[in-house]
Amino acid sequence: MVKTVKALGIRAPNAGILAGNVLRNLEVPGEEVRFIVSPGAEAGMDAVARKYGYLMEVSRLEKDLEIRMIPSGKTMEEIDVTGETCPGPVIIVGERLSGLAIGERLKVKSASPDTLADVSAAVTASGSRITGQGTEGDRHIITIEKAEKKVNAGGPAVPVDRDQVLVSQSNGIGNAERAYATFIFSKVALSMGKKVTIFLLMDGVGIARKGNAAGVKHPAFAPLDQLMDEVMKAGATIYACELSASFRGIGQADLVPGVKLAGAATYIQLLSDPANAIVNF
Amino acid sequence: MDRPYSLVPGQIPGEMWTRMTYEEIGKEIIELLGLKGSPVAVKLARTPADVPAGYAKMIKKERHCQFVQDARLKGMTGYATQAEHLCKGGAAVMGFEPSPDLVADGTTYQKLGNFKTVEGAVETVHAIPKLDEPYYASVYAPLDKAEFEPDVVVFVVTPRQALRLSQAYLHVSGGRISSDYSGIQSLCADAVVAVKQRGVPNMTLGCNGSRKYSGIAEDEVILGFPPKDLGAMVEALRTFRQKWG
Repeated sequence: MVKTVKALGIRAPNAGILAGNVLRNLEVPGEEVRFIVSPGAEAGMDAVARKYGYLMEVSRLEKDLEIRMIPSGKTMEEIDVTGETCPGPVIIVGERLSGLAIGERLKVKSASPDTLADVSAAVTASGSRITGQGTEGDRHIITIEKAEKKVNAGGPAVPVDRDQVLVSQSNGIGNAERAYATFIFSKVALSMGKKVTIFLLMDGVGIARKGNAAGVKHPAFAPLDQLMDEVMKAGATIYACELSASFRGIGQADLVPGVKLAGAATYIQLLSDPANAIVNF
Repeated sequence: MDRPYSLVPGQIPGEMWTRMTYEEIGKEIIELLGLKGSPVAVKLARTPADVPAGYAKMIKKERHCQFVQDARLKGMTGYATQAEHLCKGGAAVMGFEPSPDLVADGTTYQKLGNFKTVEGAVETVHAIPKLDEPYYASVYAPLDKAEFEPDVVVFVVTPRQALRLSQAYLHVSGGRISSDYSGIQSLCADAVVAVKQRGVPNMTLGCNGSRKYSGIAEDEVILGFPPKDLGAMVEALRTFRQKWG
C-alpha cells in the first residue's frame, strides 16, 4: 500500500516536521508514503527520510511537488513486453497492475514506443497515471502509478465540446468510395478546425500500405495517396491497427511514412473520448 | 461485539498494551482535563452501509462545526449527509459534494474579505486539506458514547488544555507537533480531514463561520487527534496529574 498525504501550503521546516510525524505514526509501519507539497517545502525532507529509513524521490506535478518516501530496499516492479503483439502488452500490464495497491508503481519496458503509447492509453483510461517516460539502453520505458478511477458519482454530466473527429475505416481500397470518403470527410473536418484522427482497421489498414493508395484514382478526384498526404500534412493523425496489420503481414516498414501502428487500447480510448464525433467508413 | 477501543501502554504486568474502550477514554479525559463537554468522535462514511447501526439522520440542517458542538455540549449523536450540511465549503472538503465554483476560483473568500487578491484566495483554497473520494455522510457522537470506530476525535478546549493534550501526545516518543491552518474551513478541513489523511494531530483556531454559528468560545481552540493515540495520551495525562497536580 502507498499512503498519500496532502500537505499543501506548509513551508519548510514545518513540512518536514509533519512528514516525520506521519512516518513514525504509520498504521502500517514501513509503508511507502507519497506527500503532495508546495514547491519549497521539500527542503530538509531528505534528512527526515534518512532518519526514518526511507529513500526520497521528488517529482513535479502540475503545480505541486510529489515527495515519495520509499522504504530503503524496496524496488519498483518491472516488466518487459518486448516482442508481445497487440493486445498482449495491454493485457499483461493490466493484469500486473491489478495486483498492485493504489499508489504503487510499475515500470514497463518495450523496444517499441508505439506499444508503450498503447499501454499508456489503456492505463490512463483505467484511471492510473503515467509518472515518467524515457529510455534505458535499447528499451523505451514508462512508469505507471496505479490510481483509483474517478467516477462522477451522481453529479451532473459535464458538457463536452465535441471538437474532434474520429474516422474509422475498415473497408480498404476494395471499396474506393468509402476509401475516398475517409479522407474527403477528414479534409472537411480539418477545414472546420476540428482535430482529426483516422483509425484504419481490418481491410482498412491496406490503404496505408506503401503503393496501395496510389492505385486508387477516380476521374473526379485527386489520387487517393495524394489526398491521404494532404490530410496528414494538414495535421490529421493516422493509426493502423497493429493486430489487423499483423494479420495481413504488414509491418511498420510497409506503411506510408507518418502512419503509426497502434493497439486496441488506443482505439478503445479514442472511441471512449466524449470529445470525439465518430464516423465509420 | 466489543466496544471500540484504543491501546494503553503497559498497564498489565507482562503485557505491552491494554485495551481501553472509547467510553473509558472519553470519561477519563474529561475528568483529567476538566473539559467542558466531551471530545467528539467523528467518522466519515463512504456509503450508507458505513453508517453505524442505530444512528439516525440529523433532523436539523446545520454546519459540520455545529454538529460537533452539539455532540460535545448536548450529547447529540447522529449522522449528516450532504442534504443536512449547510456549509458547502465544509461539505466539499469532506467529500459530500464538489466544491462550489465560486469557492474553488477564489471569488467567495476574496469577496468576504479574507484575502486581498483572488490569487491569494485560490492559493489557499488549493492548499486546504480535502478528500478526493466521494463520501456519503459524517457521523458524530460524544467519545464516551461512540459505538463506532472514529476517523478522528475532535477536542474544543482552552489553550491550557490544548497544551496538556499536545504534551500527552508527545509523551511516549517525543518530537514536535506541526499544525497548519488558514482561518477558513477549520473544524472540517483542519480538524477532521487533515487528521484523517495524515494520521497525526492538527490544531486549528476556528474560522469565521464556526466562531459565529457554533458557539466556540473566545478562549477555545480546536484539535483533532487520531483515535489510536488516545489510550497512550490518557496514560500520559495520568502521569502529568501525579507529577504536576
